[in-house]
Amino acid sequence: MSTTLDGLVGSEQGVPFALLDEESKREIRRALLHAVAVPGHQVPFGSREMPVARGWGSGGLQVTLAIVGRDDTVKVIDQGDDEGVNAVNLRRLVVSSTGVEETSEVHEATIIQSRHRIPEDEMGENHVLVLQVPVPEPLRGVERDTRELSRMHAEADYSRMWVSLYEDIVRNGVITQSTGYPCLVNGRYVVATTPIPRWDIPRLHDASFLTLFGAGREKRVYAIPPHTTVEPLIFDDIPFEVETAEGASCRLCGSAESFLVSAPGDDDSWSCSDTAWCRRRRQK
Amino acid sequence: MGYAAARGGLTAIKNAERLVRHLRDHDPSDPVGTAQVTGRLRLLVDKVMGEAGMWDPDLAARALLQAEGDHIEATHLLRAYRSTLPRVAVALPVHADDMRLLRRIVPAFREPGGPQVLGRSTDYSARMLLADAHAARDGTAPLLTSVMGKNGTTTRLTATLRRLDLLVDRRRTDDPEPVDVTSAPPRPPAPRSARLSAMARAETGSLINQWYRNILGPDGYLHEVTLGEVRHGELPVTLRHPHTGNPVTIGHYRATEVEAVEDLDGAGEDRERFDVGFGMCLGHNERKAIAMANLDIACHRDGGATTLEQSILMTTDGLDSAGFLEHLKLPHYVTFRSMIDRKFAVREARLRATGSGTQ
Repeated sequence: MSTTLDGLVGSEQGVPFALLDEESKREIRRALLHAVAVPGHQVPFGSREMPVARGWGSGGLQVTLAIVGRDDTVKVIDQGDDEGVNAVNLRRLVVSSTGVEETSEVHEATIIQSRHRIPEDEMGENHVLVLQVPVPEPLRGVERDTRELSRMHAEADYSRMWVSLYEDIVRNGVITQSTGYPCLVNGRYVVATTPIPRWDIPRLHDASFLTLFGAGREKRVYAIPPHTTVEPLIFDDIPFEVETAEGASCRLCGSAESFLVSAPGDDDSWSCSDTAWCRRRRQK
Repeated sequence: MGYAAARGGLTAIKNAERLVRHLRDHDPSDPVGTAQVTGRLRLLVDKVMGEAGMWDPDLAARALLQAEGDHIEATHLLRAYRSTLPRVAVALPVHADDMRLLRRIVPAFREPGGPQVLGRSTDYSARMLLADAHAARDGTAPLLTSVMGKNGTTTRLTATLRRLDLLVDRRRTDDPEPVDVTSAPPRPPAPRSARLSAMARAETGSLINQWYRNILGPDGYLHEVTLGEVRHGELPVTLRHPHTGNPVTIGHYRATEVEAVEDLDGAGEDRERFDVGFGMCLGHNERKAIAMANLDIACHRDGGATTLEQSILMTTDGLDSAGFLEHLKLPHYVTFRSMIDRKFAVREARLRATGSGTQ
């Protein structure tokens, strides 16, 4: 989309570093600081219109652009894949508007923007994970009115969420929530975990990296600071279940210990969702 | 610093962009210039500027050409461009009475204070598809609308109603700053200025639908108003000069303004008086301003009893709704994989419960 901007802006003005004007970036950083200070709390911000559409990572993109510095190295993945078309598009926007380095290797990256996955590789305190969030409100399934939702969060009244999980078990025998599993952060706020798979949820708990969530369309950011408790909402006698496929392993690298995706109905088509991780295993 | 992956995704995107440019820019017909768009597709340009919240006909025309006439896409281009610009100044407030009128109708009164001026309108033209839309060009310029306004000969219907003590007085004595919805996302309960700003930038069709589903659809939170004023005209942009401190007019824009008179009929309402809703948007876009004015008064009367305000504030933006709709085209391999996992889990639980084993 950089040609889009070039065409409209004209060479005499040029595009600012990291696309947004400085005031906008400062405002987003203020919201992020607020979010880090109150883990899991959804902080409103003046979400700008980006060169990518709302719903296509505009929130994650604004977070990345607001925090990126000239010394950063960015990795962008979509579905775990650096080469997903949307990952490519977002990465070239970040890189072309900042001149920062890009990488597909977690250990080389300082900012990792992702949609729907946390990389399989270990991340440390030198990493910031930026997650693109389509729906930041974890309680929308049980309540639609934003005024009531504000009250529920303010009073930590998550009883209806618990009831809905209980009813799910009664009706279906299991909890049917697939991705974006609701989690209690720092013992206080329930958050929507983007939609990352349940597989990735344990990675958020007491992580040594900072996770920033950006919801551009709904104009909210929230954060999980390093070493913060992240507990999936679950009952004492019901185990939290991550995605499993018995006997499945990656047809490329043989991995049975990563999050695998497959073509429905084709048991031989399993492969790692995290393509950089898979490639490195094959090169070893 | 290795970026080792095969670059298939990038190649595909670049090819897609080449196809866009090829189909758009290499058509055998003559290229269309921005002057043609601003001059001949005026209403489309106005609509895009209104939904973008940005007055610049030339840029809007460029955006429309780049977007092949897709007005949502053109709006996106304008708003994304605006995101790169610093905010250098805030204009001084302008009074709607300062509008240099190009059109003014008052459906509520045959003889309102001041003239009824049809101006440019197709309202009463037969909708007959012409063989050549420009064939009727006869060389004689039409009668130009007389310039009115500025405390001149037009009296607002609301002023007349107020004189007759037929209007609920909701004028505020304080003068709060209006909410800037581009920097503080409004959620209910929000000040009226936030609702009006959100609607001024809303997608036109979305506001019309919001109005109609309340008239005929399941919501039903409003009833028809009588229009007091429908105006289209030109307003000044005035800034305080940074050195002299004097107001300086730096440009003009066109806007549509509507006042909608509401017949209060609720049990707890003032049955001796009317109330009024207000609509105003950039450019000439009467559908939008009328829907907005009716929704404005409906929202006030609703008073938070329903989720009408939430619908107005959060579901009428064209880029929000279109973007989220279109995001469904993005890969969802991970979420779908996780859903399949749960389908099998539910099936296994059922088989376990019915004692049929796990197969």
